[in-house]
Amino acid sequence: MELSQRERLSELVEELTTSGQPQLNQDKMKEVKKLCKVSNDCLDHVYHSVMSQLNQEHAEIRLSAFQIASELFARSHHFRMLLVDNFQEFLELTVETDSEQPLPPPKEVARKLRALAVQTVQSWQSSYGSAYKKLALGYHFLKQVKKVDFQDIEARTVAERTREEERRRRMERIYKEKVETAAKEMEESQQEIEATLTEMESCMRLLFPDFSPIDIQTANSSPSNSQPATKCPSDDEQPCCSKDLRADGRGAKVQEREENTGGMGTTEENRKTWKEKREREKAKKGCEGIEGKDGEKQEMHKSKEAERREVMEVELEEESEQEESSTEEEEADDEDFIRNSGLISHSYSLDLNLSPGLHVKETEDNEPVVSTVIDLHKLITTKHLPAVQGWVQVFTKSGGEEQLLRRALDLKRSLEATLQKHKELHIDYKARVRKVMKVSSDGEDDDDDDFDEVPEKEGYEPHIPEHLRAEYGLDPSPSTSTGSVAEKKPSTKKTAAPPLSSSSYSSMRRLKQLAEEVQDPTSVVATLHLLREKMPPPIESSSSSEPSSSQSSSKQTNVNAPVVPFGLDVFYWGQEQPSAGRIIKSASQHQFWVPAEVEEEVENEELLAESRSRYISFPGSFVPVSHFCRAPLSDGKLCQRQDRFKCPFHGPIIPRDQEGRACRQEDQEREEQEERRKREQQPDWRDAELMRDIEAATGEDLGSDRLGGKKRKGKKKKYPHLSDLKQSTNTSRCRLEKKVFNKSSLRRVAQVMNKADKRKHDKFSNQFNYALN
Amino acid sequence: MLGFLTARRAGLDDPLRLRRAESTRRVLGLQLNPDRDVDRIHGNGINTIDIEAVEGRYMLSGGADGVIVIYDLENFSGKLQYTCKAVCTIGRSSRYVHKFSVETVQWYPYDTGMFVSSSFDKTMKVWDTETLKPAEVFQFEGNVYCHHLSPIARKHSLIAVGTTNPKIQLCDLKSGSRIHILQGHRAEVLSVRWSPRYEHILATASADSKVKVWDVRRASGSLFTLDQHNGDKSKASSEAVNTAHNGRVNGLCFTGDGLYLLTTGTDDRMRLWNSATGENTLVNYGKVCNESRKRLQFTVSRGCSPEFVFVPCGSSVAVYTLHTGELVTMLRGHYNNVDCCEFHPDYQEVYSGGKDCNILAWVPVLRPSGVEEDSDHEVKGAAGQSSVNPAFQDAWSSDED
Repeated sequence: MELSQRERLSELVEELTTSGQPQLNQDKMKEVKKLCKVSNDCLDHVYHSVMSQLNQEHAEIRLSAFQIASELFARSHHFRMLLVDNFQEFLELTVETDSEQPLPPPKEVARKLRALAVQTVQSWQSSYGSAYKKLALGYHFLKQVKKVDFQDIEARTVAERTREEERRRRMERIYKEKVETAAKEMEESQQEIEATLTEMESCMRLLFPDFSPIDIQTANSSPSNSQPATKCPSDDEQPCCSKDLRADGRGAKVQEREENTGGMGTTEENRKTWKEKREREKAKKGCEGIEGKDGEKQEMHKSKEAERREVMEVELEEESEQEESSTEEEEADDEDFIRNSGLISHSYSLDLNLSPGLHVKETEDNEPVVSTVIDLHKLITTKHLPAVQGWVQVFTKSGGEEQLLRRALDLKRSLEATLQKHKELHIDYKARVRKVMKVSSDGEDDDDDDFDEVPEKEGYEPHIPEHLRAEYGLDPSPSTSTGSVAEKKPSTKKTAAPPLSSSSYSSMRRLKQLAEEVQDPTSVVATLHLLREKMPPPIESSSSSEPSSSQSSSKQTNVNAPVVPFGLDVFYWGQEQPSAGRIIKSASQHQFWVPAEVEEEVENEELLAESRSRYISFPGSFVPVSHFCRAPLSDGKLCQRQDRFKCPFHGPIIPRDQEGRACRQEDQEREEQEERRKREQQPDWRDAELMRDIEAATGEDLGSDRLGGKKRKGKKKKYPHLSDLKQSTNTSRCRLEKKVFNKSSLRRVAQVMNKADKRKHDKFSNQFNYALN
Repeated sequence: MLGFLTARRAGLDDPLRLRRAESTRRVLGLQLNPDRDVDRIHGNGINTIDIEAVEGRYMLSGGADGVIVIYDLENFSGKLQYTCKAVCTIGRSSRYVHKFSVETVQWYPYDTGMFVSSSFDKTMKVWDTETLKPAEVFQFEGNVYCHHLSPIARKHSLIAVGTTNPKIQLCDLKSGSRIHILQGHRAEVLSVRWSPRYEHILATASADSKVKVWDVRRASGSLFTLDQHNGDKSKASSEAVNTAHNGRVNGLCFTGDGLYLLTTGTDDRMRLWNSATGENTLVNYGKVCNESRKRLQFTVSRGCSPEFVFVPCGSSVAVYTLHTGELVTMLRGHYNNVDCCEFHPDYQEVYSGGKDCNILAWVPVLRPSGVEEDSDHEVKGAAGQSSVNPAFQDAWSSDED
């Protein structure tokens, strides 16, 4: 073998082993193999160098060497012979067979090496064990004496496999169970869901029926609707001329509705239409009176009907479908009207502006329906839909349950469709503050309504519909706000003096009742009344808009005004304190010991002032520092510290020019002085060069490297890729230990402790307790 | 070889000479042979082995777990590959088994129907090989380190027993009683050996660094004590007088002819003594690793022209030439300390047992052809061998080119 080859091989092996990489460099390895292939001498050489590398006290070197060995072991018989011949040592160095020769650090790599070696030995054994006796012996030795669990590797995989199998089976079982339970659940709740769906469907139909006669009939089965229908059975064969009018009338109502639903329609207009309607009805009534067959009774009925119709109209504001039904009624009315008065030309010019979307607004009449819808919606969104989604998930995950999955999907689809429909309805919910059945104080059923007399939550009505305001004795149009905010205004409105514009005696009775309640001091109404009387004048009880506006304005001022904590001065704001600042000294309570004359009352100006004054501090605002210190540093740069007044290294901050020199004369002088003083402090014998010379001559460390600023270069690391074994010793703990446990600091601490002890002794030496210790 | 054979045919040579030459050649060719295996029975370290002298067929082994196994070494199958079968075992399930580690086993020199074992359970048992039951049990006060039956004794049937007690016990198989004690040692006796030349001569080695040679007919004291300095007082410090080693002496072995005595001690030395005079022959064997606190069983070859010593040295068996002290080879194969080795004089094989539970057979390598064959034949033979076993082939892949 040539020398160059030998050298090259040594070099390669060293490079490979000191790379510190978990895997060998394939190119280099290939070169090694190529060289080794040439002759057995090369193999010998590689074997020896690998063994010497294996003997290194570094797990990474050993790992790489082991990898080289295993590569060559698989290739060459000669190498196998060599290695097996020295298999004891090889095992000692890689598998840690000798407990007195543990694998070197780093631990992680050592563990990896060991695992790899065990694995490799096993594979060698399986492929070469029969041919190389010593290998087999080593394998058995590892297995039986060292109890290296070769099976572990395989067993682990086997165990893993069984575990995997088990897990799969368990999952299957779980899925099956899940599917079963889901199917059962679905069976059970399908009925319920379907019921919910139909209920929802019908509710929505109630709120917003389709345009079909059946729907109309089903939707409006109230007697008020059927009454006029029965009244004029010849509804269909109307004269064509009357259709105009009817259309008009309907139009008017529609417009009105539009305005109301918009919520922003001018009340003036509203009122106008109201008046018009009322006039018309009066006229109607008049006509009826003329042509009346039933006389008073009829009229009575009529008036009632009119009232009811008013209610109806408002009620219809939301439901455009119910409009249809009301048109029936309307038709009847108009027909009557035409028939009675002969007036065709109710020529109102009306603008129709229908909003494109559907809107359903909640009123008292459809409240139960709406609340049912809400409940159902909630039920669907919170219970049914998640459940169905869960089922779908379970079925899709488990797979195979086509039928069930389809059913679940159907359910889901229908539920979602229902929800979509519900969304499209745009139901305008009232704020549900309370869930109490509202007493309908409309004239509709006043004669048999006993509940009317016991209003719940005395006098508090969160929502008073527009048209009922008059009956409640309120200003019919207090504000534009028909929204819930205004309606939730305190019930002082209610107790306001009623204008008595309405002829309804029910409201009269109600008022009377209210008045009686006012008399009763225990009732809430009375209290409220009292309160209102006490209230300062600007808070107007009759109008609900004013307080809100004043409130809003006060809110605005609140924003600007500073918030101050509550204090004595606020407590006595604008008052003269009679006893402020006076200290009263009580006279002696003793029987006969009377102290010398004392002033019983002392006027204290400070205290007085305190109760009237308030300290307010104005800290000002933070302004970030924008200037730099800019003192010249040793490396030619300027100091970049941003202190406000004084740099901890360069003193007070002074204006400096580009090079960092002080601009002002006195500053320059001061700095020069400083410099001179510093130079004087350091004696000139401490010249770095000189000291190094002295050190070299005497061999004693005088600290020249501390002075010179030039650091000696550390020893260059031989193998930069290997992980540093000494690094682990350089932990924060170690450094701290070095500091804390170093001799001088220990001595110092001991001294201090001793001193403390001594002091105690000196102080308490005459006391038994302390004298002893 | 051929020269020897022609000389023998011509009657020029002594028949012994050919035999010696061939056996020497075989001993030098000892190797761990893949063809020869010994059943792995022991689950613990093997302390002692013994091959019977009558047939040379059966081998006893005693393990650290108290198990005693008898192997059949004879290969009747006609094939090269042979695994020594365990004929019978006194395992842990036997009610007669030694409770603790068996330290010494020995066949009765004249019959394989009996063997003797001694153990750390303070007993020595005399077994009947047929029934595997102890025919006699001797109880002692301390752990028994070793015992020995004289291989040539005709006039007595004494077993010398070394225990923790410094007194050496002599048990008589005829009466089944302890008939005699030999006093003189100051520490436990680690090894005892009867001389193969004179039936009444006994050598004992003790932890007090002394080796004494006794004539059991003279009970008053030992014949002499081996002195490593041969009585040169100037070299020995006062306390080292009459010591064989500077540590415990844990191995004793007479040469086959009984003229020399070998001792090993924990001072990592092996010494060869003239057994007649007790003189240190001062053969330097170099360092013989020896850390055992118990008996070390080593052996000497018989029938070779220079005799060889096989001595356990760490995890290998060192082979030295007896009189020159030259290290011939190291038989490396055990993965832990070797405690005992035994030479089979008929086949020139060495059996060794160690703490790694293995009994390894070191068998002379049969050369495929004679020494005089030319080299190309060897290559052919090697090729034939590699064709037999594909594992011997190189497996260089072509991508390394």
